[in-house]
Amino acid sequence: MDAEVTIVTFEDIFQYEAGKKGRYTDEYRDLSARIILDKQDMAKLGAKDGQKLRVQNDIGSVVVAAKASEDDPHPALAFMINSPWSSQLVRDDICDPSIPGFKGIAAKVSPTEESITQLSELLQRMRA
Amino acid sequence: MIMTVCTCTGCSLLCEDIEVDIEKGTISHAKNLCRKGWAHFQALFKERTKPTIDGEAVTLEAAINKAAEILANSKKSLLYGWSSTSIEAQAAGIDLGKKLGATLDDTSSFCEGTLIELVMAGKIPTCTLDDVRNYADTSVFWGADPSNSHPRHLSRFSYYPRGEKRQKSYEEERSCVVVDVRKSATATLCPNYYYRLPPGADGQFIESIMAALDGKIPKFGDKKRMIELGTLLRKTEYGVIFPGLGMVLSLQEKMDLLQKLVARLNEITAFKVVPMVEHFNTRGFNQLLLDQTGFINSVSFQDGAPVHDPEQSVIAAARSCDAALVIGSDPLSALPFGTARALAQKPLIAIDPHRSLTTDAAKVVIPSAMCGLEAGGTAIRMDGVKITFDPVMKSDLPSDEQILVMIKEAI
Amino acid sequence: MVGAMEIYQLLPKDACKECGYASCMALAVALLNREKKLEDCPALLNPKYAEKFKKLKELLAPLEKATETGLIIHPEKCFGCGNCVVACPVNVAAEPTRCAVGLGPQGEKVILAVEDGVVKCMNVKECRRFGPNKVLCNACLVTCPSKAIEFV
Repeated sequence: MDAEVTIVTFEDIFQYEAGKKGRYTDEYRDLSARIILDKQDMAKLGAKDGQKLRVQNDIGSVVVAAKASEDDPHPALAFMINSPWSSQLVRDDICDPSIPGFKGIAAKVSPTEESITQLSELLQRMRA
Repeated sequence: MIMTVCTCTGCSLLCEDIEVDIEKGTISHAKNLCRKGWAHFQALFKERTKPTIDGEAVTLEAAINKAAEILANSKKSLLYGWSSTSIEAQAAGIDLGKKLGATLDDTSSFCEGTLIELVMAGKIPTCTLDDVRNYADTSVFWGADPSNSHPRHLSRFSYYPRGEKRQKSYEEERSCVVVDVRKSATATLCPNYYYRLPPGADGQFIESIMAALDGKIPKFGDKKRMIELGTLLRKTEYGVIFPGLGMVLSLQEKMDLLQKLVARLNEITAFKVVPMVEHFNTRGFNQLLLDQTGFINSVSFQDGAPVHDPEQSVIAAARSCDAALVIGSDPLSALPFGTARALAQKPLIAIDPHRSLTTDAAKVVIPSAMCGLEAGGTAIRMDGVKITFDPVMKSDLPSDEQILVMIKEAI
Repeated sequence: MVGAMEIYQLLPKDACKECGYASCMALAVALLNREKKLEDCPALLNPKYAEKFKKLKELLAPLEKATETGLIIHPEKCFGCGNCVVACPVNVAAEPTRCAVGLGPQGEKVILAVEDGVVKCMNVKECRRFGPNKVLCNACLVTCPSKAIEFV
């Protein structure tokens, strides 16, 4: 029911646009709080598009929505837009502390009933 | 409708052919601005910041004085951001840093810094984007997706326009290559020269290219396609590699592999490297700091003479500082969680034209005029070319530069 | 883009010829070419085809937005990258010191220009796909990173 993946982050013009319209908008959250998974991994998780997934590692944990990849197969490789959601999982202590890993985030993905993590909660975690 | 020409500060292409209709005090209409630039400009009219201390509205003067007080009382302050502001502001910031004995850093320390350093030190050959348009017949996007990050890159410079030696352009005289871990939007434009790598395999891919260039059987990747790539690179008259974050963070401390590849290519033909810097003036800050201290980022003035080491990068300094000033950046949105959290716990001063996660967490918020529209200045494009821009809209707010000067005077 | 087969499946398929065509398949093609409208098929007005009529209207709706050359722009998909502006041969010929070399147009004779962040088309009659000497130019199509431009 779980899947172990490596996450690579990327830039998306529509998510950028949504963020410029407002960081606390639903649109920004919907476009950012997503993980793009290979169809095989989706099947393994029993997930369809929109299924809520908990993505976690020893750095942090977020609930995002699943999106089936339209790319050529890439099992065990997942993609998330570079955002405060993906940054919850990024290490900054690997070898040289000055190079955090945005492009090789090991994480576990599991289906959940919980709601998508809100941006305000991410900010709260930073200030706690 | 009267259109005013202006420069976009949405990314490091710094497009200067933008025309905006600002008659009604907003940008109601714009020409040539890509989707990213349009969003960047439209943000000017949403959620503008106001001067606050602990969330309470105060005068601008009070906010600046409070900022000065916090910094004056700190023993180890961090001045961070810089990528989205003018060279003039960056210079004022370095001055402030020297007075405070502060640590200064920008996003390059955890993004493209290792590559920018090589380019600026002349250790890897580079060229301007105008050279690319005029001469380049092969553009290689490696771990970069300009369609999303620098939308007009291909149409203004690297694939579609005509140039002095490339009058037949993409149809007959230019090739575009994409090397990436996924089929990005840019990859769909050149399906025959799209090479998909598993994450972290860039070093092996480089070795395969070197083998193909030497007429040997490549060990990694589809042999036929690697040989085709080798052939293309050999035939190239003027090639340019545009490494993005994907490649730089994959190679990390093995950037010498890129140097080796470029050196080998230059034995055969001309090959240059232009870093795909994201923000509009990362290079400005890196250049200024390099000129003044010999380092492009992560510098501390605590001991007077500049010190550069991993302890001065934002990743470490966010934890060790006792106060921080953030300008031209939204680190709480962009930094890895641990560092963002460390920073959010400190007394933060945020200078920003509009609301961000960082301004939401800041103790002191100082609103500034938006660089590029309301405030003019100079910036350095991703290829090292200096672009100067004038403001096109009036604002009662001070520029980033003016704010930093005022803070320094109040200390 | 919807195809002729898809349209055909929703038509009465009885070749009654009231529309002037010998077969419903011929009508399907004519609907796609916008040589005929749905209202030209009287049989579809029969209440038993209400569902299919509705679906046909939906499928054919994008064509109504298309220009005479069959060009449709989906602004919600457009990156504003200007690839089409710089690749369009008509743009290039009209603006040799601007579009040809990657800049936005200054004159009024172009077909494609980026306004308010997305591409707009104008002067469609100048497009090489139009008129008696038309060619199957697809420069704007193949240079688009997001399929924001289509031809019907």
